Amino acid sequence: MRARYRTLAGCLALLLVAVLAGLRSGMARAWVETSGAGRPVELRVWDWWSPSGNEEYGAYFAEVERLFEERHPEVDVILQIVPFGNYVQKLATAMVGQTPPDVFQSSVYWAEGFYQRGMLRPLDDLLQQAGADTGGMRLAEEIFLPPAWRHNHTPEGVVFGIPQIIDAQCLIWNLDLLQRAAAEDAEIRGMFPLLADGSPDYERLRFDAVQDWEHFRRIVRKLTTYRPDGSVDQAGFVINAYSGGAGMFPPWLAANGGRFQDEEGKRALFANPGGAEALEFMARLYWEDRVCPPFRRQIADAEVFEGGKVACMAAGTWSGKDIIRDTLGWKHFAKTAFPPGPRGTGQKTLTWGNMLVISQRCEHLEAAWEYVRLVCSLEGNLLRLKHLGYNGPRLDLYQTPQWQEAVKARPYLSNIKQICLAGDKLRHTEIIATDHQANPVFETLLLRYPDIAAGNGPYPSVQAALEEAARNVDQVYRRYHEQAGRWLEQRAGAVQ
Amino acid sequence: MKKSLAPYLYIAPAFAAALVFSLVSMGISLWASLHHFDAFAGAAGYAGLDNYRRALGEADSHFWLALGHTALYVVLSAAGVLLTALPLALVCQRVRWGQALFRTLYFLPSITPGVVLALVFYHLFGVWGNLLDDRRTALPALALMGVWAGAGYNMVLFLAGLTEIPQHLYDAARVDGAGPWQQFWHITLPMLRNTLVFVVVMTIIGAFQVFTSVYIMTSGGPERSTEVITYTIFLNAFAVAGQMGYASAVAWLLFGVVAVFVFIQMRLFRSRKVYDE
Repeated sequence: MRARYRTLAGCLALLLVAVLAGLRSGMARAWVETSGAGRPVELRVWDWWSPSGNEEYGAYFAEVERLFEERHPEVDVILQIVPFGNYVQKLATAMVGQTPPDVFQSSVYWAEGFYQRGMLRPLDDLLQQAGADTGGMRLAEEIFLPPAWRHNHTPEGVVFGIPQIIDAQCLIWNLDLLQRAAAEDAEIRGMFPLLADGSPDYERLRFDAVQDWEHFRRIVRKLTTYRPDGSVDQAGFVINAYSGGAGMFPPWLAANGGRFQDEEGKRALFANPGGAEALEFMARLYWEDRVCPPFRRQIADAEVFEGGKVACMAAGTWSGKDIIRDTLGWKHFAKTAFPPGPRGTGQKTLTWGNMLVISQRCEHLEAAWEYVRLVCSLEGNLLRLKHLGYNGPRLDLYQTPQWQEAVKARPYLSNIKQICLAGDKLRHTEIIATDHQANPVFETLLLRYPDIAAGNGPYPSVQAALEEAARNVDQVYRRYHEQAGRWLEQRAGAVQ
Repeated sequence: MKKSLAPYLYIAPAFAAALVFSLVSMGISLWASLHHFDAFAGAAGYAGLDNYRRALGEADSHFWLALGHTALYVVLSAAGVLLTALPLALVCQRVRWGQALFRTLYFLPSITPGVVLALVFYHLFGVWGNLLDDRRTALPALALMGVWAGAGYNMVLFLAGLTEIPQHLYDAARVDGAGPWQQFWHITLPMLRNTLVFVVVMTIIGAFQVFTSVYIMTSGGPERSTEVITYTIFLNAFAVAGQMGYASAVAWLLFGVVAVFVFIQMRLFRSRKVYDE
């Protein structure tokens, strides 16, 4: 009898769970249907710009969605935010589950690989159809800054993405500290452009404010002060030796006339005297010139820079907005490219353009392409400028009064176009895997440079260490191309 | 017939779940380890034992390095757990009042998400002398966090084991003139054998699978000093194109290592009756 009651109770509990689960999914479905009432087309869009990190992203996406849905009443835009760190894993899961987004932002980190796997739809036919577009709606190579149109197509010219942003690595300078030093130092004063009356304009820096590495070294030395115990109080520059920080080697390499990889992504090109010079330059700034705060994993470069105790850091052109947010409105900083090394010519950096792509399995191609057109149009660029303070990949953006106004309000934007234009192509083949092979070596070189220079380190020389890193990176490239060959065979087999 | 079928019906749902979510996925990963496999594109040809050969023998493989780090982490964790959880349990057992409170306090880290613990310790280690910045201290620091996180849980297991030991054994030992150390050595430890084996085996299996702290706190650095096997697996599976097969092979090699370890342990500490009731 008792057992029967137990069985009955168990069945009732199961029933309750089933009913609740049904109700819940029903409610979820009802919510979706209500939110997109009367809109037969659901366009799923993925991005990693999260309103949880910065509410301005929320305002930006809300306006894009509102504009798009006003113009396309049949489409319900469903925006899904996926964190950058999990983007690839989530995308893989969505792909395997046959529910990929229709449109998504792709970093240059993954775009080449996504296309070679057959995940992205080539856009040439759509671009051709849109060939009659004029003005701010036109999407064509000549409309964009040249460095933005480098990562979005194959060597044969097949376009698989439309540039949504343009970013570059750059040097960011604390103008408060520079202005203070400029009062007594003509060399630092010379970094500022002159106003009409001949006085320095302390709101911005000349694009070529730093002439070469020696000049950079002198300036950051002058900007460094020490405590009585000899430790660095105010640092001229900051280098983070750990993991991602070690990845700041490539722009210095570019400034010294070097490249990280070849165009085809088959060979590492950094293991040469130019590469060794770049790494030694970074290591010496820390160990010999003593212009940096101590290497600390837990403290990001941006953190010490924003604390006002560092005069210069290497970062991305996008980071202006983050600095303003973190410092509650401080805008007195400026950006320059990297000065040339002994083998380099002119100011240099690395530039890339993340892009909007359309999934090969996109269910609503027309709506997806319209969305891409809006976001990548001049109007889309202006929306990003308005809400996020970002520059954009389109040339016509820089002719608009809105851009002129933005530069006036935020003078740190003034060099940004030139910086982006000065950039070589950011490495593009298997970036995370190559980082995993190369960064620990760069890390060791930076952390243990004195031992290595004295011949007591884990590598006989900087050059030898770079050669080992390059050998391992070459293995990554070899495997990647073998794999890409298999994907090609697979796709050819599928077509037959 | 009815009687003999009933137990199987009871375990059937759990077995079905294990079959689908563990055994089938393990089978798929074994199959993937024998193929060139990509998370997005699926299998692209049979690879035979190439993935295993690469892990064990190629110059740029970090398998042995990662295995060495993992083994060191396992040793530090197992020793740390034994040296903290058992004394804690012994002390806690003697507490006259508030034992439940102490048990709860020590157990709290076990129910705190690993990511939260990792973030807290990431900053704590920065304050306590930059332990994560040096290749010589980073791995022991991670093990220290692992021990702290696991001590409470294992303490509860030891406490349960201690309450099972009949009081009359201690009474008899005291009558015979045994001191606290002799009681511990000749009664407590032998009587805790089964708990001890369970705790050590589970700690070792858990330590072999350490991932969250490495992923959050060090990313395998500095200078690869905290690169452990699971981190290598994760990177290759999800961050390197087309290397899911290789990652699966490394995962199976890890499985082999853990299985051998556990088998040896079980043989060494084979349970046997140590007293007559």
